[in-house]
Amino acid sequence: MSALQAAPAPPSPGMSKGRKIMWAVLALWIGGIVLFVILFGLTSHKAANVASGVFSPTDEFKLDTWFKLGPIAFNKGVMYLLLTVGLTVGVMAYVARRLKQRPGRLQAAVEWAYDLTQGMARENLDQRMARKYFALIATLFVFIFVTNMIGYIPLPVDSTNKFNLFGLHIPSFQIYAADTNVAFPLILALGVFVLFNYEGIKHHGFIGYFKSLIPGGVGKGMLPLISVIEVLSVFLRLISLTVRLWANLLAGHLLIAFMGGELGVLVGQPVVSWALLPLGVAIYMFEATLIAGLQAFIFAILTAIYLGSSVSSH
Amino acid sequence: MASVAKIPIAASGSFLITPNVGMTIWTLVVFAISLFILWKTVFPAIGRALDKRVETINESLDSAENTRKEAEKVLAEYRERLAEARGQADEIMSRARRAAEAQERQAQEDLRAQRERQLEQTRLEIEAETRRAIQEIRREVADLTVLATEKVTRKTLTEADQRRLIEEALSELDFSALASEGAENA
Repeated sequence: MSALQAAPAPPSPGMSKGRKIMWAVLALWIGGIVLFVILFGLTSHKAANVASGVFSPTDEFKLDTWFKLGPIAFNKGVMYLLLTVGLTVGVMAYVARRLKQRPGRLQAAVEWAYDLTQGMARENLDQRMARKYFALIATLFVFIFVTNMIGYIPLPVDSTNKFNLFGLHIPSFQIYAADTNVAFPLILALGVFVLFNYEGIKHHGFIGYFKSLIPGGVGKGMLPLISVIEVLSVFLRLISLTVRLWANLLAGHLLIAFMGGELGVLVGQPVVSWALLPLGVAIYMFEATLIAGLQAFIFAILTAIYLGSSVSSH
Repeated sequence: MASVAKIPIAASGSFLITPNVGMTIWTLVVFAISLFILWKTVFPAIGRALDKRVETINESLDSAENTRKEAEKVLAEYRERLAEARGQADEIMSRARRAAEAQERQAQEDLRAQRERQLEQTRLEIEAETRRAIQEIRREVADLTVLATEKVTRKTLTEADQRRLIEEALSELDFSALASEGAENA
């Protein structure tokens, strides 16, 4: 706002440019609502495929096999994974190749991520473990972050819904993310789960590891119950790690889609789409700026914490 | 809102919570590739660069510290020299002032001496002139006396008469006033 207020004096005094734009957008929004109500009334106008139940909003997250190379199926999710690996490795290698003493923005960002993940490793792991697992933690952070971020770029990948452009059947644009498919977070979480259990057993021995899970000072009567809970909690880490990332991303993408117009389509009232659009934009910005980084951060730091706690006793 | 209840969100949604086997393998492979490349090439390079930067910063700080010390030393030396130079300058100045004063005094002395000499000479000249004038007046008075006596007595005075008359006339005239006036002017 300050930048806008600092701009040359607006023609009408007492109203900054930013404020004017805000009022104009608000007026446009309200005017649009009124216009839609006048044009369509309040009765439902469902599209044929919505009314018949053929159209499902979750279909855009279905992984249609696009083509097969022998036993290897290629679909939307695979495309996003390849985009992720290309971008991650590409950007990181690009930066690593031309590291400068005085970093540019990109290098500064990469160095920031490096410092951040190194901090995670150093704070939660001893020196030997930190050296061993820093690369994993850092890669998890960068990889998940890139996956999330390209998940907010609309791409023509919705092969279940196509639109016609001059006779070409082009897949609809959608925002998809590889981690909206539960397979992505699950396999990463499984890898982390295997690693921290492996480290725990290596450090404490098989029996010792299970003993280390149980907090000291538990009475003999409570021991069976506590043991079951503690062992269960270890397995729950696998599930929570998976579900947190997957559900956050899936819910975020569904919310953006619903608020960005889909709800209006489903209830057959364009005015609903129009009225919810600002909310859709707000959620989009919230997800893209905060959730994408936050979820990557949480996954990486939990990996460090789990690895660290597995080699330390209660 | 019966229409909302019919929204088929979960009608065919089972695929949402079923891990896609292909995706699982793809994710594993793709992540492994990323991990391997980043681990082997990118992270060590960044780590080295960061270490190097830390080293450079330390070196810069050290050299800055050295430079500062050096600068302080040079500054102290400079100040010392400046003080020295100032002292010398003061000395030169005072010497010059003394010389100038002495010269001025000398000039004044010379001037006064010269003036005195000139005054002395003028006085002497005036005295001489006065003496000459008195002599002149004496002669004039003598001649006039002789002339006047000749006119009164209608005869030419003898040498002895002349002498007597002059002596008488001169004894009546008082030249002391003239002489003293001349002395005062000198």
